[in-house]
Amino acid sequence: MKSPSSIVSEGGAINGLLPVDTVVDLIKAGASLSLAGRKAALDRLPAGNWIAGTSPYFMTAQGGRIVDDDVLFVTDLGAIGTVTFATYEAHELERISGEAPDNGLALTIIPGGSACHTEFAQNAANYPMAFMRPTVGWISGHDLEKEGHTPWVYDGQVAKAFPDRVAVAQVTLPDGESPVIEIVNIFAPDGGDVIHFEETGFTPEWCTVNGTRQRFCDYVLARGREGCDLPLVGNYGGAHVNASLKTIDTETGTVELFAPVFPGVDYAFAAPVADYAGDFRQALAEHPTAGTVWSCNCILNFMFGKLEGVAIGGAAGPVTFGEIAYQLLNQTMVVLRKE
Amino acid sequence: MSLPAQGSPVWGRLANGGLSRLQTSHLGTQMLMKRLELSPAPASAKATEIYNYFVKWERSLANEVAQLNRL
Repeated sequence: MKSPSSIVSEGGAINGLLPVDTVVDLIKAGASLSLAGRKAALDRLPAGNWIAGTSPYFMTAQGGRIVDDDVLFVTDLGAIGTVTFATYEAHELERISGEAPDNGLALTIIPGGSACHTEFAQNAANYPMAFMRPTVGWISGHDLEKEGHTPWVYDGQVAKAFPDRVAVAQVTLPDGESPVIEIVNIFAPDGGDVIHFEETGFTPEWCTVNGTRQRFCDYVLARGREGCDLPLVGNYGGAHVNASLKTIDTETGTVELFAPVFPGVDYAFAAPVADYAGDFRQALAEHPTAGTVWSCNCILNFMFGKLEGVAIGGAAGPVTFGEIAYQLLNQTMVVLRKE
Repeated sequence: MSLPAQGSPVWGRLANGGLSRLQTSHLGTQMLMKRLELSPAPASAKATEIYNYFVKWERSLANEVAQLNRL
């Protein structure tokens, strides 16, 4: 039986774009929702059972879209399980998994560029119960074409926006169901150099390449990777976990990343991708779809892959400034399924 | 194959490096493997964490459970 706060459409649970007025009605009806959209749209919502983050970018069945203030992306959490909501400050983030349900997950939205973003990126894998009570979610963003726009998250219970607070929906699944957190990463190591880093951080100064220590900036330039389109790919027990390049300042020799690198992890630059959309379509065609309830994909894939108006398959979802599957990811699609 | 009991030497072997030989495409397991590899925690604590993890996710880890006795 569905939760009383579940609003189910004819074809299944809602996971897509809806007019803001419809979202207001859903909130007033008591639905438990995860939302995404522009700040001007989110600011119109009444208090209720919801969390949200800002992004105007989305992947839909019809292709990538940049939306205006009149629609929001809605995921009906009540159709997934029983939902409670919480917010956390940067020093409280280990409570995300610590307070998550035993049979469920913590759907989490973190403001991009915030202290929470940095804290989670560097420490999430070591939070208590991190792998027993999974965290899945995204980093909020903003319209890259609009000056002055910044990332926000919302605590729907008070209908208030925060620039440096994490919004979490703790979702308890029905007995007999389990969460499945998966990634679709079209990048793979290029098979060449193996790179190691000495310290955890977003701006590594030094690295070791095949055993030879050198400035990371010099290595990036020598490899011709200053376009920042190809991420570093870390080997985590066989999983490919990306850390994407954000900026390169050749004068100061500083390379800034969208996610931290860690000592003890083998990294390599990703091999070039010839057909972004085609590679996603192929990967998603081979990916299990049963029980899919939510997904997100990276703004760098949207931009570098020129995905606006291009359909790639898979579940619809927000296009994000970082993805969360247990820990922070870059340039990756995250898929949440139930089994 | 059923899960070895908590007192089985399997869990100690996994905590002392055996886990790195596990063949898996399960994302949570892959990330846990890396976290434990880098962790300074004592092997006994790692063994307990690995056991509890497999108890929790046994239903999703049939292929991995089948490998445990030979790691």
